This record gives sequence, structure tokens and C-alpha cells, in this order.
Amino acid sequence: MSESKTDVPYGTLDLLILKTLDSMGPLHGYRIARRIEQVAQNLLRLNQGSIYPALIRLEEQGWIRTQWGVSETKRKVKFYSLTRAGAKQLDIEVRNWERATALVARFLEAGS
Amino acid sequence: MKLRFAAARLAALFRKPRLDRELDGEILAHIEMAERDAIAAGLSPEEARREARREFGGIEQMKEEHREQRSVRWVENLWRDVRYGLASLARDPGFAAITVGLLALGMGANTAMFSIVDAVLLKPLPFPEPERMVRVVETPAPGERNPTTTFTFLDWKRQRDIFAALSVESMTKAAVETGGTPARLTGKLVSADYFDVFAVKPAAGRAFAGGEDQPGAPMVVVISHALWQSMFGGDPGILNRELRLDGVPHKIIGVLPAGAFDRDEAVFWKPQIFTAEQMNRGPHIWDVIGRLRAGMTIGQAQAKMNLLRANMSEVLANFKDWGFGVEPFGKILVGDQLRQSIYLTFGAVLTVLLIACANVANLVLAKGVTRRKEMALRASLGASRGRLIAQLLAENLVLCVLGGIAGVGLAYIVLRAAGPLVAESLPFTSELALDGRVLGFGAFVVMAALILTGLLPSLQTSFGKLSSALNQTSRGASGSRAALRRSIVIAEVAASVVLISGAALLFKSLEKLQRVDAGVRIDHVITVSADLPMTAYPTPESAARFYDAVVQRLRAVPGVEQATVTQRLPLEGAAWGEYVHVPGVSEPLLVRVKMIDAGYFDTFGIPVKLGRGIQARDRTGAPPVMVINERAAQDLAGKFNFVNPVGRLVGIDLTGYGPIPETYRDVQIVGMIRNERTAGLNGPIQPVVYVPFAQVPQQNINLAVRTQIDPLALVAGIREAVRQVDPHLPLGVVMTMEQVKQRSMLWAKQPTWVVVAFAAIAALMAALGLYGVLANTVTQQRREIGIRMALGARPGDVVSQTLRSAFGMLVLGMAAGLGGAFAVSRALKSLLFEVSALDPIALGAACVAMALIGLVAAWVPARRAAGVDPMGVLREEG
Repeated sequence: MSESKTDVPYGTLDLLILKTLDSMGPLHGYRIARRIEQVAQNLLRLNQGSIYPALIRLEEQGWIRTQWGVSETKRKVKFYSLTRAGAKQLDIEVRNWERATALVARFLEAGS
Repeated sequence: MKLRFAAARLAALFRKPRLDRELDGEILAHIEMAERDAIAAGLSPEEARREARREFGGIEQMKEEHREQRSVRWVENLWRDVRYGLASLARDPGFAAITVGLLALGMGANTAMFSIVDAVLLKPLPFPEPERMVRVVETPAPGERNPTTTFTFLDWKRQRDIFAALSVESMTKAAVETGGTPARLTGKLVSADYFDVFAVKPAAGRAFAGGEDQPGAPMVVVISHALWQSMFGGDPGILNRELRLDGVPHKIIGVLPAGAFDRDEAVFWKPQIFTAEQMNRGPHIWDVIGRLRAGMTIGQAQAKMNLLRANMSEVLANFKDWGFGVEPFGKILVGDQLRQSIYLTFGAVLTVLLIACANVANLVLAKGVTRRKEMALRASLGASRGRLIAQLLAENLVLCVLGGIAGVGLAYIVLRAAGPLVAESLPFTSELALDGRVLGFGAFVVMAALILTGLLPSLQTSFGKLSSALNQTSRGASGSRAALRRSIVIAEVAASVVLISGAALLFKSLEKLQRVDAGVRIDHVITVSADLPMTAYPTPESAARFYDAVVQRLRAVPGVEQATVTQRLPLEGAAWGEYVHVPGVSEPLLVRVKMIDAGYFDTFGIPVKLGRGIQARDRTGAPPVMVINERAAQDLAGKFNFVNPVGRLVGIDLTGYGPIPETYRDVQIVGMIRNERTAGLNGPIQPVVYVPFAQVPQQNINLAVRTQIDPLALVAGIREAVRQVDPHLPLGVVMTMEQVKQRSMLWAKQPTWVVVAFAAIAALMAALGLYGVLANTVTQQRREIGIRMALGARPGDVVSQTLRSAFGMLVLGMAAGLGGAFAVSRALKSLLFEVSALDPIALGAACVAMALIGLVAAWVPARRAAGVDPMGVLREEG
């Protein structure tokens, strides 16, 4: 074990989901969870189930929408995709995140 | 988008089971796929299952969180906002009291008014299949209604294919003895199937049987629930008792159910038995109501009646232009005038509610200024705009619900206090109540008020660049907000002007009505009605003897100047129309007949212009005479070239006493008197002929006494005088002639005072709104005012600037209001008496009144502006 896994940083799960849908197109819940884990290359400790409350929250905000589709196991499942408002929100969140990390980075540099 | 968000939350609340199912499906699919992938990666099925579960995490915990996301937060937020709203109201009790008070007033008035509208106009009649209930009339001309004759009624009744039931209906009075004091009961004479018209069965006993309205049937009576309670103490053995009407025992065969019939004037119903003398096509005296056969529409019934009328043209040759008419029962029950009054009053209270809402919206907006910073702060902390609107709306919801509750309380009090007064003018079928329908309307008003008072301010407060609000100092009023507030005030002024104009018009009309010369002396006259029972006064002579005796006694009462007995009081109509025939001329003249005694003209101060009045010598057996009014003389002159009517002989049908039929008599005109108003103050001057009561006696009479002293001081003396003549004769309500006059104007007075009251409330509310906006402006412009004063502006300049601003709003509002008044003038027309709906004086007075009230309201903030200390303000700003 080179590095221990970290939890999903607070408040970033929404961003991860939006980004995933932005780059991958419509996905069902399991694929979203797997994609996040893949990109994180096992650095992230994600309870896969926790994406579902996040998904319903994003849907209520109007940032993602759902369509019925068929899973690889031939089950009827929901496929999630980004809405236009969601794409905008992703931009905003990405910028916020960049600003926040840049700020923290500057502090860390100044301190060293 | 915000709306969508709220809608999704709301929808989620109702789709909970389906969403739960969908989530279960997703979880299942998720774990299946995870297992499959794990097996593909080389794990055993068992390990794969465990691994998939582990990676998924706690299912139940997740579901819980999912649900919370979906719905719970929505409800929680609402609750938190409501609590927050209550707390913020508690912090500002003045604001809370004013807004809740305004809303309560508006909503209370509307709720109370709606209960009247609902009872009279909306609710179906409280009888089964009310659409089958009709009134059947003869129609002398299109739109006119006339009672019918006995034979024609019987012809109608034979139309079994049209009517399931058909009945005559006429009012009657009867004397009863309760515990020794004579009392007078109102009842109705009806056909045996009367209650089938209403489809009402007595609660105890039975209704009339088929033969009970035929000659020779035993005397039976049906009584109301109210009479059973009041006179018989609810005696369960009532069906074995009898009711003595005018001394004649009647067997009580039924007691009606409590309800609608208890609000009817009548308390007993007995069969109308046609006498042999009434069996003809002579007098048109019967009002007829009926119930159509099942499935028959009014249109079909009317068509069949038209056909019947065509077939009867021979027997009805004397009335060749008259038709038969079938009308919905309710239409006549609620007259046009009542309908108009109700619409008008409802319009007035709705306007007041709108103004109240505008005021509250304005106050909320003003409060919003101080809250912009709070909103900006909340927004920067992550509250979405939807959340902010929801919060502001929830605070308004608190206001509106509190206002609504107080309003319903107010409506309850109003209905309790004013209900009995109003009910007198309403048909007996309508019951005023705060029932579910009325409360539902109240809830609707609350929601409407919420939207009116809440939506605009909350959009205003939450939109715009909130972040800039954080940096603003308190002086920064955004331009659009000020403009919005001014527009609201202008709209309030406009609505008030519409109401004040209406009030001014109605008031002027009422004033004109008040000043109409009735043609008789109104002051110092007191009156009382009575009905001579057939049993005690069986002959015309006995009635005439009573008139003489009672007038003699009355004249002997100290303080009495003159006394008379008349069939109808002035302003209260003159019996029925009859034709005056002139020998040798085929076309007769329609006149009104009034029976009076020798003292009438003197008592009411009506001067005799030609010939003589009625005198004591015009008694039974003496040559028949009549006195005519000026209008009748003009008509006679126009029609028959009577240059001097006095001395001429004319023929006329004069009604008989009790069941005695009318007789055609040649009568000599002996005099002419000045016109009196017989058809009410607003009615036309009718041609009237006066005949001596002694020659044409009647059972229902009015006694009138002119007094030297306060007429009300003589009530006891008058009662005693009548008692000395006949101790068993019950008297009606004692009224002064002034009260009779006021009663005749009730139709005009009720809507007028309601509209005047609400116009005053509206004007005060508009003034309050104006004051609020100006006071706010002055507060916000303190710095500007301070600088101007530092640069040399005098306090007077500052005052006039504020007043000019107020005047600008007032003028715009008045212009819009006058436009509105023009628009609604048509609705007022039918309630106005000799006043144009666009009367310039009334409209001008309305504008002046509004302007004065508005300027007074503007004066306070103007004075405050002038009192600004320039140095203090500038220092403050630093």
C-alpha cells in the first residue's frame, strides 16, 4: 500500500458526477460510480450507494435528467445525462474549485 | 428553473411509493452489475456478492438519505420559514398588527359578503330538483307579470302533461289568542298540492290531501317548525291539538321540517277554498307557483303554455294581447334590484380587499429594503434564489393566514350582528351561514392575497444584484422598487376613487330620494295595521261600524289632532288597478283604487283642489262617490275631454268585502285632490281614485293618527283606544310615518351605506399607502434633503416638493379612477334615482375628497422632511 485511500472531499461528489456525465454522456448509476473510481485509480474511498442521493439532488436542481434504458444485465435502469443548466453549473463549480485550490496552493507555497 | 425545482419537490411528495420502487430497482441492478464485474475479475460468486455489497455501502442508510433529499427537506424548509416568519413578525409587532389588520378587514368583509352571494345567488334552492320549480303568470306585455283568474288557474292545473303540481299562493293574516293577549299570525292560503311544488314533506303529520281545498272540506292547517316551537312549546302531541284562527278552530295536520320555511314570513298554511263567487274569469288575483313534470324544461313548458293560450283565445277575448308565462321560481324570488345591490356590494368589498392587499404588498416591499442585506448575505452563504423566494413567501403566508383567521372571525361577528337585518331583504330560501363553502372561499381569498401581497415583493427583494446590496449604504433605494411602490399607491388611489365615486353617486341619489315630496305630511303621524277577522266582522256594515268607532276613540286620545282609517298608507302602494268606464266611450282608463275614510286627507295634509273630499255622509246606502287625484283628472281630461271632472258619473268595478265578489257601480266624482306618492318615492305618479271606506269596506286596514306631540309618546294611548273598541283585535307593528318612509327607501339605503362605508375604508387605506411611500422616500432621501437645505433650500420648499410628489400620484390615481368609474357606471345605473351615473358634481366631489385625504396623509412626512437637520445628516454620512 503506497498511499491510503481518502474520502470524497466534502461537497465535491456533485462536481465529480457532473464532470463524469459531461465527458462520458448518459450513464446509469453503477457506471457513474465505476467511472469515478476508475479515474481516481483507487485513491478514493467511495460508498457507491452514496451517489444515488446525490443523483436525485442533482435531478431536482434541474442539472441532470433521467431516461429509462436497459443495463448490461438486461434490467430496466435509469440513465442520467447532463442538462444545459447542468453544463453551466459544472463550469461554475469547476471555476470555484480551481479558485479554491489555487488559493490553498498559494498559502502552502507562501508557508514553505 | 426555480419553479421546476419546487415543483419537483412537491411532486416527489406525492410520488413517494413509485420513487421508492424505482430506487429499489436501481440498487438491485447496481449490485447485480457489480457482482458480474467482480466475477469477471476472477472472484467466486460468493466473494463477488460480498464485495459488491461492501462497495455499495449501507443500503438502508442510503435510502433514507435519498428520501430526505426528495421530500423531507421541502416540508422542513417550509416549517422553518413559517417559524422564521412568525419570529420576524413578533420582532415588529406594529407591522404585524397593521398588515394582519388590513388583511383581516378585507378578507372578513369578503367572506361575510360571499356568504350572502352564495346563499342568494349561487346555492340552488334548498328543495329537491329546484330547476323544476316555476312561477306561472299572465303576461300583459313581454317582461311584465300579472296574477291570473280562478278559471284560468284551473285551466292551467288541468295541464297534467306540463305540471306535476300547481298551486295558488296568497298571504293572509289571522288573529290568535295566546295567554289572553291577541296576536296576529301571517299565513298563506294555498292549494292542496302546495307542498308538492316544493317537494317538502311535513316532519310530523301529513300535508294537505287532494280534496281539502274543495268546498265543504274540514278546516285544517299545517304549521311551521318555528310556530310549533314558539306557540306550542314543541309539544309532541301537536297533531291532536288545534289552532284557533280568527276564533275558528283548525285541526293541525302537519308540522313542517325546520329550515327554509322558518325564514318565510308565513307560519301557517291553510287550503284556499274557492267560493262560488270566485269561480269566474273576473279579478286577476292569483299568484301561481308550480313544479314541472320530471324531464320537462322551462322552454318546453313555455311552448306548451303558448299553445294552450292560443287555444283559449276565445274565452280570453277581453285580454287578447296577454300571454301566459313560465319563469324559474328563483328568478322572481331574487329581484333584479336585490341582485344588483349584491353585485355592487360584492364589487365594493372586493375592491377594498385589493386595496388592502396592495397596502400590505407595499409595506412588505418597504420592509424588503431593510432586508436586502440579509437576503444578500443568505445568498452568498449558498441559499438559492428559490429558497429566498420561498422564505419570503412563507413569511407572507403567515401574514395572510393570520389575516384570514382574524377575517373569518370578523365575518362571523358581522354575520351574527347584521345577519338578521340583511335577511329581511333576502328571499326566505337563502340561509346565511359560515359553512364549508364560505370557508373554502375564505381559503381561496387567503391564497389570492398571498399571491397579491407576496409574489411581487419577494421577486423584487430576491432579484437584482444581491451582491451589490452588501456594499450599499441604507440610503440606496433601487429605482425600480420606488417606481413599483408608487405604482401600487397610484392603483390604490384609482380603486378608491372608483369606490368613492360610486358612494358619492349613491349618496346623492339617496339624498334626492329623501327630498322627494311625498305629497303628504310625514312628521307627527303614527300608524298601525290590523286585520278584521271574518268571524268578528262578518258583514261590510260591521266593519264600517268598527271604522267609525275606532276613529272616534282615537280622536278622543289627548294629543291626537286627527285620525283616519285607510286601506294603504302613503308610499305603500294603492291596491289594485281597475278600469274607469265613461258612459258612451268604449275605451276605459286604468287607475289605482284606494279606500279611505273622511279623515284621510286631513290627517296626511293633502289639500282638496276641486269639489270636496270624502265626508262622513258618504256611508253605506248613500250615493257612491269618489275623489280623484290631479293625475287621474289629467288622464280623464286627455282621454275623455273632461274639462271639469267634478260631478261626472263614471263606472268602475269595486271589490267586495271578504268573499263577496266585486260589483260594477256608477260612481260620482265629487272632488279632486293634490297628488300623493302612492308608488314609493321613486315611483311614478299614478292616477288614483279614492273611494269611501264605509262604502267599500275591507278587512286589512291601517290606522293613522296625526299628533300634536311626539308621536311615539302616544303608542300606548292608541293601543288602549283600539282595545276599548275591540279587546280581541291584534295590532301589527306601530310605526311612525317617518319610519314608513325610511322603510320604503330600504332598497336604496342598504347598498348606499355599505358602499359609503367601504369607500371610506378604501380611502383611508389608500391614504395609509401614500403615507407609507412618502415616509419611506423621505427617510431614504434624508441626505439629499440635508444637502439641499445646506445649500439654501427653505423648509417650505422641502414640504412643497414632498406634497408635489404626493399630488402627482394622486392625480394619476384619480385619472385612472375616473376611467374606472366610467367603466362601472352602467352597473350603478339601475340603483340611481334621478342622478346620472356620470354626474359631474358627485365625481368631482369624489376626487376632491380623495385629494384632501391624500394631502393630509402626505403632510406628516412632508413636515418631517422639512425638519431634517442638514448638519446632522452630513455629519452622519461622514
